[in-house]
Amino acid sequence: MEIRPILSALTRNSSGAVLVAVQIAITLAIVVNAVFLVTKRIETVSRPTGIDEYNMFAFWTNGFGKDFNFHASVRDDMNLLRHMPGVIAATPTPQVPLSGSGSSNCVYPQPNEKGTCQPVAYYEMDEYGLEALGATLIEGKYFEPETIEWRQKIAQEPPKSGQVVVSKAFIEKLFPDAKSFVGKIIYDNQSHPERVIGVIGHIQGSWVGWDKLEHVMLQPMVSAGPSIQYLVRTKPGEIDRVMADTEAALKKSNKYRVVGKLTKVSVMKERSYSGDTMMVVILGSVTALVVVFSCLGIFGLATFNVNTRTRQIGTRRAVGARKLDIMRYFLIENWLVTSAGVVVGCVLALIAGHYLATHYGLARLELYYLVGGVLGLWIVGQLAAWHPSWRAAKVSPAMATRTV
Amino acid sequence: MFAYYLRLAFASFKRNPGLTALMVLAVALGIAVCLITLTGYRAAANNPIRDKNDVLFAPAVDGWDPNNAYDKDKPWKQPDLLTYRDAVALTTSGIPDRNVIMVKTAEVISRDDGGMEPEGILVRATSADFFAMFEVPFKYGSGWDAKADAGPDPVIVLSKDLNDRAFKGENSVGRTLRWHDREFRVVGVLDEWTPAPKFFDVSNGAFDDPELAYIPFAFDKLFELGAAGNTNCWKTESIDSFERFTQSECIWIEAWVELRTPGKVRAYREWMDNYVTAQKKLGRFPRPLNNGLYNVDEWLAFNNVVGDDRKAMVLLAFAFLAVCLINTVGLLLAKFMNAAPVAGVRRALGASRRDVFWQHLVEAGVVSIAGGIAGTLLGLAGLWALRAWYGRIIEQFGRTLPFEVGTLLLAIAISLAAGVLAGIYPAWRIGRAPPASYLKVQ
Repeated sequence: MEIRPILSALTRNSSGAVLVAVQIAITLAIVVNAVFLVTKRIETVSRPTGIDEYNMFAFWTNGFGKDFNFHASVRDDMNLLRHMPGVIAATPTPQVPLSGSGSSNCVYPQPNEKGTCQPVAYYEMDEYGLEALGATLIEGKYFEPETIEWRQKIAQEPPKSGQVVVSKAFIEKLFPDAKSFVGKIIYDNQSHPERVIGVIGHIQGSWVGWDKLEHVMLQPMVSAGPSIQYLVRTKPGEIDRVMADTEAALKKSNKYRVVGKLTKVSVMKERSYSGDTMMVVILGSVTALVVVFSCLGIFGLATFNVNTRTRQIGTRRAVGARKLDIMRYFLIENWLVTSAGVVVGCVLALIAGHYLATHYGLARLELYYLVGGVLGLWIVGQLAAWHPSWRAAKVSPAMATRTV
Repeated sequence: MFAYYLRLAFASFKRNPGLTALMVLAVALGIAVCLITLTGYRAAANNPIRDKNDVLFAPAVDGWDPNNAYDKDKPWKQPDLLTYRDAVALTTSGIPDRNVIMVKTAEVISRDDGGMEPEGILVRATSADFFAMFEVPFKYGSGWDAKADAGPDPVIVLSKDLNDRAFKGENSVGRTLRWHDREFRVVGVLDEWTPAPKFFDVSNGAFDDPELAYIPFAFDKLFELGAAGNTNCWKTESIDSFERFTQSECIWIEAWVELRTPGKVRAYREWMDNYVTAQKKLGRFPRPLNNGLYNVDEWLAFNNVVGDDRKAMVLLAFAFLAVCLINTVGLLLAKFMNAAPVAGVRRALGASRRDVFWQHLVEAGVVSIAGGIAGTLLGLAGLWALRAWYGRIIEQFGRTLPFEVGTLLLAIAISLAAGVLAGIYPAWRIGRAPPASYLKVQ
């Protein structure tokens, strides 16, 4: 089968073909970029967190009044929480991972600000902190109860024990050549030394959009009040009941302490990623729709071409063309139109990808998405043209002698 | 004639109901996606105080780390917050018509007579000018005066929400509340007020609720509260007391000025330059002199309130609409050309090219109007679904996707334009087709 007669037939009546080619071009540009962005976002959202976020909740408590003793209140509350059925562990903490709020510091491998400092999100917790997070150590141990400092006054210095538990991703950056990290000493910008006693294999910190999300440090301390958050981890499936019980129990126990709204850590995570999931939903639906419409466009054009050429098809059949030849004619015609669209589409996709990356700070389009898009559209195009071509092949040679 | 064309159009739809439905659906989906993404974009791009856009300014100075810009990708950008000492210094120029410095902070509020459940609330510690400067509506009473700022006098302005809870919505001016263990006298109660975006404090959540109460700025330092929002520091400083913290290079304060004439804007810029130059002599501000004075629109853009995702989605939505329209053009063309013999007969019986063109343009117009209506409904349904889904986890989410007449009008305008665009070419083609060739075969 030669391509020349197909081309000349196409140029004779080109407007429909041009429309479909343009449609395919824009479709390719949209689909490639949208699928790329959506995949990146899905990867981001589904990264492992390293904590048991689906069985955790947290809330603020805030003491007030002259008679309020913050640390006594925290001890009472912790005692109450830890004895509640369904609770695995609870800890006071100023900030909660995945919540979007937290504190960070830059930490050095040597004193006097020598070496390159690494930013890290830090959390001050008590001896139940690790269990309340549901994180696991790959090396060393966690804080003993006597190392926890119950701080009386706000101050910018590490806890007295000088111990820290750190994430592997963070400590590896400070000591790239080390095999074991327990016993390493790290320094804040005031040169306060802190000794690593445990290493968490994997854990995420507060800000999901931060490139240092996995830089996390735990410190054995309960800060000075009068407000703090409580982080509670429950047995699987019992979180809703425990939350209801907690709310009721805490309300009764101390009238000089206000309890904020109880929030699941999984909900905090969902909030932090809401922009990403919305992008996935909207772009995902648009991509699916755009592919469907392109299929319909190709289908429509092929059907139109077949309908207007019934007599010519009949004539060709009458002078010896086989059904296969007719079918091949229409499939090749369609393939030519798709290919023209795809070539223009590649250029458009690259321009759009470049524009999105430079103007809107999105990731740069990876080229194999483009290859995938081209192959995909070729296949989709052939599938969409299959039915009309098959109908064309069924046209009887007798049509040549009929007048419509 | 128009009614006749309409009848012809409906007769034509009846001949190919599937194809017609497909075209309407294509236009509808294109419009719906544009409506949804535009709603998000417009809400974020809104300026809630447009009438004062050109007289309200956020001053910004760059006293950040000499080795690392505040925003590494955009080193020309100043930090979005101020140090305590710079913020206080900025109020001493005497040039602006109004000055505001402020910070968001949190503490427990209660009533000594036990008339309310004690509650931990967010409070804005701010200057007397805040209320007049941002046109905040009052239900009862008013703000405080400059004397109360200087005192500071323990006065408090309540939001409508808090007044409803604390005093059951009554006029509570003159009553007292306890906040951070000190008695505050209510001087005013606000009416409903939720500017979106919250332009005066975008760095702590551009769509957050306004704070529940307002107190004079000086109490933040007096009670050693600091910020319940962002605090960022870069410098190696030993900070062992709140006093030291207020003298540090940490940034956590917001400032606004009202400058009613271009002369005052110029004078204030000059004053800022002089201030920073003088501070440089004292060893502060190690970065090159780079002051900014942003009006509201500029400040919202500076903080990228709209966000890159929203912009990119609008772009892709319009590309999608283009695909839908091209699809519709193709389908219309196929449909019209299929029915060309009919048009040929009409031409032979005396209809002019223009008549045939208008007849088909009406048909295309009906398709696009139907698509526009269906698209608007689909878009509203989509918005409703998104609001329901995200409203579950983010209380203020509705504010980022509001139902708005403006966006609806825009959607209708787009669908009309789309219909005409999609209809013109096919109608022109069929109008130009020579009647003879179609009559011959018959």
